[in-house]
Amino acid sequence: MTDVIAAARAANRTILSEVEAKQLLADAGINVTETRLATSIDEAAAHAAELGYPVALKVVSDKITHKTDVGGVELGVANEDELRAACERIHERVIDAVPDAEAQGVSVQPMAEPGAEVILGITQDQQFGPVLMFGLGGVFVEVLKDVAFRIVPLQPRDASEMIREIQGFPLLEGFRGQPAANLEAIESMLLQLSEFAEANPEIAELDLNPVFARPDGAIAVDARILLTSNS
Amino acid sequence: MAVTRERLTRALAPKVVAVIGDKQASGYNWLRSMKEFDGPVYSVQVDENEIPGIEELGIPNYKSLTDIPDQVDFAVCAVPRQVAPFIVQGCVEANVGGVTLFTSGFAETGEEIGVELQNKIFEIADPAGLALIGPNCMGLHVPGLGVRFNRDQPAGVQGNIGFVSQSGTHGMNFSLTGAAHGLYCSTLVSFGNGIILEAADYLEYLADDPQTEVIGMYIEGARDGQRLFRTLREVAAKKPVIIWKGGQTEGGGRAIRSHTASLASDQAIWEAMIKQVGAVAVHNLDEMIDVVKATLLTKRTQGNRLGLIAMTGGQSVVLTDAFEKAGWKVPTLSDESYAQLSEFFNIIGGSYRNPLDAAGTIGQDPKHLDTIFDILNADENIDAVGMELSATFMARRWQDKPEEFDRLIGSLKRFMSESDKPFLAALHPSHVEEAALTARKRLQEEGIATFPSFERAANALRKASALAAV
Repeated sequence: MTDVIAAARAANRTILSEVEAKQLLADAGINVTETRLATSIDEAAAHAAELGYPVALKVVSDKITHKTDVGGVELGVANEDELRAACERIHERVIDAVPDAEAQGVSVQPMAEPGAEVILGITQDQQFGPVLMFGLGGVFVEVLKDVAFRIVPLQPRDASEMIREIQGFPLLEGFRGQPAANLEAIESMLLQLSEFAEANPEIAELDLNPVFARPDGAIAVDARILLTSNS
Repeated sequence: MAVTRERLTRALAPKVVAVIGDKQASGYNWLRSMKEFDGPVYSVQVDENEIPGIEELGIPNYKSLTDIPDQVDFAVCAVPRQVAPFIVQGCVEANVGGVTLFTSGFAETGEEIGVELQNKIFEIADPAGLALIGPNCMGLHVPGLGVRFNRDQPAGVQGNIGFVSQSGTHGMNFSLTGAAHGLYCSTLVSFGNGIILEAADYLEYLADDPQTEVIGMYIEGARDGQRLFRTLREVAAKKPVIIWKGGQTEGGGRAIRSHTASLASDQAIWEAMIKQVGAVAVHNLDEMIDVVKATLLTKRTQGNRLGLIAMTGGQSVVLTDAFEKAGWKVPTLSDESYAQLSEFFNIIGGSYRNPLDAAGTIGQDPKHLDTIFDILNADENIDAVGMELSATFMARRWQDKPEEFDRLIGSLKRFMSESDKPFLAALHPSHVEEAALTARKRLQEEGIATFPSFERAANALRKASALAAV
């Protein structure tokens, strides 16, 4: 599983692509949507046929951090005709926004069944080493900064407490008729992530954002990993 | 080489003490501070001009540590920084248990020479296993043995609070202000740069120290954060730990790509760490004093429902506000309680819903206070009891009629011994600060947790109860 990291190091990169990040996470047993790299439209169509429609398509480029901002994302692509058109649109918009994007292709992944959006993350603290974060996704993390931290390694009680510590916790318990999120699934993902952080000290930053927290489990639909700049 | 527990114990609970390099210019502060030490104190000074002044204090002086005809357990070193490595070498040769380096001007200056000297000291002390405290610190205060670094610190009193401070000032202030609140340390260490022994070492010692019932810590940063984290997790499982984190470490200045990294401020991480290990965070000296006091003097509750006794209607209202803002509930009492209260409670200018506005009722007959306490003790809706002691109305009266104050204290202590419910008192100094302070001192001597405001009382009980949940 360190092949992904070794490859990035060899290419002198510290940012892993979504495909690479998810491969690393999947190898560690963390539930992510299966995501494959396609370097041509035909390949994208073949992946989509295997993974099953509808799919999401995202541009893959070392130069692009915020894929949505440059028009590099198409969601809910329902069939092959739509997929071919969507790939063309992504290509045009990205070339337009980032002429030197040097995109490797697009990632193809099945559209996950939505749930409450949460964020799980890792960062390195100067004094304490790896640290885990949990919060509600979207506006809650970006504007309200409603998040909880714990130092790695986490004990089961830490995972349970950090979920309940955030202000927005009632939203996960099934607020106003929304289905309740499976809290045990989030807890296990936090504990897996704690082990993942311990096993991979080269990971400087990680965002699983969003993770869909559903009644039947939790799945990360996007992942971003940044490696440490030294070594 | 790690410092052994035996060596650390010699240093922190010494039988023989030496002070190296004290001088007239500092008013012989170190030697004078050791005046109450429970054992022999020696001076080491080579300056012929300083020696007569030292001998006038009645303290035998020697030219070198190795000349002292006694095994020194603990030394204080107050020499210039260039000389410090030689003194540390002398401590190693004389098999001193441990030494406090008050001397500063090392790595904390950022100067090359300071860093070099500090490294030199480390190279001498570390292989020898010398229990070196500091440098750049005030060192050790053990009131039970009369070890002090400031002459106002208490001596001859056995305390029960372990305190670890990265700062000399905050360590000193805790010992002085704490003593004014009747709170005394078992062992207090100000460890400064902590090049040999750091916070985790002292925490481990205090966790095992039978005299220490509660541990407070002032800290700005940790050299080995993971060790501190793991140590705190173990220590806080044994004893209540209260942590005051000062300052904000600046970020590494690297480019941040993720939401997680952008939100991980120094403060957020420390607060999380403190929660995670089962300690509680406080944010200033007063709060440290309050929470230590509540932890030591009040019983614990897992509940959050308070019965409140106030002296006026207006205070009933704001007393409730203060406690509810701190997360407490002030519920209605049981029907049975109301039935009993209605039999004697004076409702002209008073009320007994909860809070109980009770001045008139108690004034009528002081025995009524005992009855009120009995009712609150039996009431299943109530987990803890708070009471306003009004200095405004009573402090001068307590001075004129001490028997009334004695009677009040008797009632409080009776409740505290008969009930499992926590009790705490608020005594605002009002316009009679001196009289109120006298009253507070007496209450503290009687073991009654007293706070200068409702807000501080409410916060202290909440944080002490959070510790109890560990």
